[in-house]
Amino acid sequence: MQTKFMSSGGALCRAGTIIFTFLLAACDINGDDNLPAVPDLGLFMFVEADHHETEDTAQISAAVFRDGQPVNLVGGDVFEARTATERILLKVRGEFDGSYASSLPVDTSVQDVFINVVHEPVEAREDRWYPIDLLNIDPGPGELVGKSATVNFPPAVTITGPATDTVYTTIDENIDLTWVAGGEGDTMRVLSAVECKDGLATSSYGTEVDIAADDGLETIGMDKFIYDQNDDSPAVNFISDAALVLLQELLNKLSAGNIDPDFLVKQAEANPVESACEIRLFLQRRRDGQFDVTFDSGQVIGSRSAEVVVNYLPPVQSN
Amino acid sequence: MSILKQLFIFLFVLWMAEVTYAEGSPVEDTSVNSMQLDVNLMLTKMEAGGNDEFHSGKAIAVHYNYYFNNWLAADIGLVTTAKTLDQDRTDVVGTYRASIQTSSVLLGIKPRYRFSAPYEIYGRMGLLYWQTELEVEEYFAEGIPGGIISATDKGTGYYASIGGAHYVTENVIVQLELRHMKQLDVFQGQSDFPFDLTINALSIGVGYRF
Repeated sequence: MQTKFMSSGGALCRAGTIIFTFLLAACDINGDDNLPAVPDLGLFMFVEADHHETEDTAQISAAVFRDGQPVNLVGGDVFEARTATERILLKVRGEFDGSYASSLPVDTSVQDVFINVVHEPVEAREDRWYPIDLLNIDPGPGELVGKSATVNFPPAVTITGPATDTVYTTIDENIDLTWVAGGEGDTMRVLSAVECKDGLATSSYGTEVDIAADDGLETIGMDKFIYDQNDDSPAVNFISDAALVLLQELLNKLSAGNIDPDFLVKQAEANPVESACEIRLFLQRRRDGQFDVTFDSGQVIGSRSAEVVVNYLPPVQSN
Repeated sequence: MSILKQLFIFLFVLWMAEVTYAEGSPVEDTSVNSMQLDVNLMLTKMEAGGNDEFHSGKAIAVHYNYYFNNWLAADIGLVTTAKTLDQDRTDVVGTYRASIQTSSVLLGIKPRYRFSAPYEIYGRMGLLYWQTELEVEEYFAEGIPGGIISATDKGTGYYASIGGAHYVTENVIVQLELRHMKQLDVFQGQSDFPFDLTINALSIGVGYRF
């Protein structure tokens, strides 16, 4: 019977599905899991915490990988992020498998955040409607409980240029990004959230640019943020999943939740190079933290960030 | 408990009014001392006041009515629901599903208005005494044991309903009814997270008047 269904309309349906899938794939921005530097062997811890200049919370993201595969925390095991005065459980699933995210109240005086895997069978279930303290199947703490990392925040970032709402008209132009230099030991990068509109369609995506030194000046090509969909090898470097988790959480905070939850991975429908684009540049100063000695390796980073908004307006849009 | 006290007072006042009315009424009332037994099949919708999303469920209700006069009867009932499932969900802890099975004894009044045609409208209101079992089934990851756990509680609440009936014969009735039942403070005293359980239902039933 199944063969009969497939024989007539089935072939047409399959062809349509293939074409539809192809069209969708053609419009999608690459969303592969590109969490960097996860080794194929051993226990790896990833933690990233970013504190934005205008926010009174830090966005925290954490994950554990074993032999290259994400480890899901279950049964009441959960990441806890704590400062001297504040504490929160990371109960929101992050953008990539095995990652968890949340926002922790901090201010500029906070230097360290302690990340710990804890077993909280009741508190981890707090979003459920029924009596979680009475009806609680507790398998006991898992093997990751007690493992920890410490995030160290670097000094705050102060952007001095370009001026807000500076307009660029071609992707051959450069942005002269300037800030108050911080000295040795920290690294810098720029994350961007770009939204382009051509009058009919919209594209939104995120990009990532590494900065050579924390010396207060970096010249970055506009083609690191705006690309041509017809270009097979654009210079733009789309945001990694690890950075995407934090930036999406930050965008949510800055917009009080009024932003598409998939803003940074939305389908690219308008060609950015031919569209009017708003480019939100987030300059991050990053500092390595420490992970528990029971991990074989890890990436623990604390960062502070500041934002400046510039615009891309191609000539055809100017007329 | 203040709601329950108010309902008790309301029922007492109604009963006193009925006694006074019956003693002073010069009109002969053929409904006095008549009785009715009805059975209703119910389509239920439960709400526990949180992020619960129960599937619709089934229940059965049996009522006995003793008529004081043409418009007012005592209402005694028993309602029991089938096990009603909440949605399956997955969160940071595991994949779980809750379900509820509950039974209630109802005690109240049933005012009615009978039209000249073979139809009547009626209501019910009163108190209920419930026994509710909440069950949670939860699973984690491979190699981590999950299982099923349950707990039972008893308590009080209230109910109200409105319905319409058609007299097929002078004794046999078919009826359609909308019902609202509220169980108060379920698992209060056993848990720091008690809840009120609301059961709304549409029922169809048959009754026999004798």
